[in-house]
Amino acid sequence: MVKTVSATLICMLLYGVLIIPFTRYLHNKPLVEKLGYVPSVTALKIVASDHKEMVGATLVMKALMYFGGVAERQQTRLAGDPLDYQGMSRILHGAVKLDPYNMDAYYFAQAFLTWDVKQYKLANNLLDYGMKYRTWDWYLPFFAGFNSAFFMKDYAAAARYYKLAGELSGSDLSKLLAGRYMQESGQTELAIAYLTAMVKSEKNENLKRSYQTRLAAFKEVRRIELARDRFKEIKGVLPTTVEQLMQGGFISPEPVDPYGGRFYLEPDGKVATTSKFAFAGVKNEKRQNTGESNERH
Amino acid sequence: MSAIISMTLKSIFRDRVFQGIMVTALVFLLIPAIASLSMRQVTELSLTLSLSMISVILLLLSVFLGGTSLWKDIERRYTYSVLGLPISRTGYLLGRFGGTALFVLLTALLLGAMAFGVVMYSSAAYPPARPIVWSAMALCILFDALKYILLIAVAFLFSTVSTSFFLPIFGTIAMYLVGGITQQVYEYIHSPASRELAPLLKQTALGLYYLMPNFGAFDLKVYAIYGLPVPVKGLFLTAAYFLVYTAFLLAVSTAVFSRREMK
Repeated sequence: MVKTVSATLICMLLYGVLIIPFTRYLHNKPLVEKLGYVPSVTALKIVASDHKEMVGATLVMKALMYFGGVAERQQTRLAGDPLDYQGMSRILHGAVKLDPYNMDAYYFAQAFLTWDVKQYKLANNLLDYGMKYRTWDWYLPFFAGFNSAFFMKDYAAAARYYKLAGELSGSDLSKLLAGRYMQESGQTELAIAYLTAMVKSEKNENLKRSYQTRLAAFKEVRRIELARDRFKEIKGVLPTTVEQLMQGGFISPEPVDPYGGRFYLEPDGKVATTSKFAFAGVKNEKRQNTGESNERH
Repeated sequence: MSAIISMTLKSIFRDRVFQGIMVTALVFLLIPAIASLSMRQVTELSLTLSLSMISVILLLLSVFLGGTSLWKDIERRYTYSVLGLPISRTGYLLGRFGGTALFVLLTALLLGAMAFGVVMYSSAAYPPARPIVWSAMALCILFDALKYILLIAVAFLFSTVSTSFFLPIFGTIAMYLVGGITQQVYEYIHSPASRELAPLLKQTALGLYYLMPNFGAFDLKVYAIYGLPVPVKGLFLTAAYFLVYTAFLLAVSTAVFSRREMK
């Protein structure tokens, strides 16, 4: 009796000693490792047997949890470990091979493939694949239409997607986006309209916050654009710096980049920011301090 | 035979298998919470989780109950006393099978009712984009149960030729995995990608395809989860396949069992 009790106590003690470094080890594991390796989809299909939808959903959750963890850290520290977008994309592509109907996978993949990784063609190919299965879903052509118009400037394709989205949804949202913004000059407004719709319908907190930040940035860009246009109207020439706009009283208060960067004007008048509209962009800029690799808008 | 069926059911309940299932089924209560992590398809995710959960529980039941039922009787020498009664070995085996199959059906019914509750709750909290097709969900659970009853017949066949429980248990698990991929192998053999394969290998694989059980047709999850139209004609074919294949397995099992020497 005494022996078994003491053995149990010793085991409990050892467990107590072990569990803290064990948890710490797992917690501090590099994130790439945490996202893990996904075996080939063919192999997964065999092992998944009749649980393909379940395995697909698990893969999406895995990518989403990983994203949530890193995104939170990035927002609190303003910069953090870079996200393994390639790994996320691989996992989500695997998920839709297992379950081509999984909406979460399409939705999530198109969100980061476009804004963050700039793989517009890849994103639209994935959405096209989804449209073959989710024939009733207006979101997929809606996303693809936005990507075509905003990122790829392919207005013919965009109009085609928006028409389909409009037919499927029967709503005015797609029509609204279709007409007015199908031109170069309406790009910022297009993004604002799109992001406003996304923020409204998003229930995942991390993704919603990411959309809100981007929306705030675009609203600031729009403010600068309007001030720039007024400046040109009055003075006849384009302003060269944002400071010029502030000194002239064209814009107040000072525009703030929510990503922590600094807005500036390019020689042709386009509004750009040193953050490249990403938290990681600030980090890069601090490291290089050249300001060359900026994104134009 | 009905006496054997009720005896089988009673012994399963006596082994507290049912209570075990109920404790496991408590996980159903967590499903709405897990599903709410989904961004765009909460109801679909709760359907996916519920249906997969039912499938896993039924798989475990059919493998362990089907694989140990006969072995246990022989090991405990119950068979002597039972077969001393005026009942044929065929009747005994079919009764054992019927009892186990009935228990799996009952469990499917009960878990199905719980899944309905879970999905109803999820869809009320987060209305889905498309209406849920309840009949597709019911059909999905029914065909899942049929699949596992077929698997029980496989386990019984293994039990009749084996003296331990290793072959029935592991053989049945292997057959479950094989049954899940035979259709994919068939598709592969008929695709241009298989041009390089030796003709003999192809013929062998094709022969095995016709011999092995095919569980692919019993999986209706995708129809139930996304409310897609269910292929009615296909379901009749699948039901007929189930009847013929199960009858065939039972016929072979009883033939083997009748000739088996009980030491």
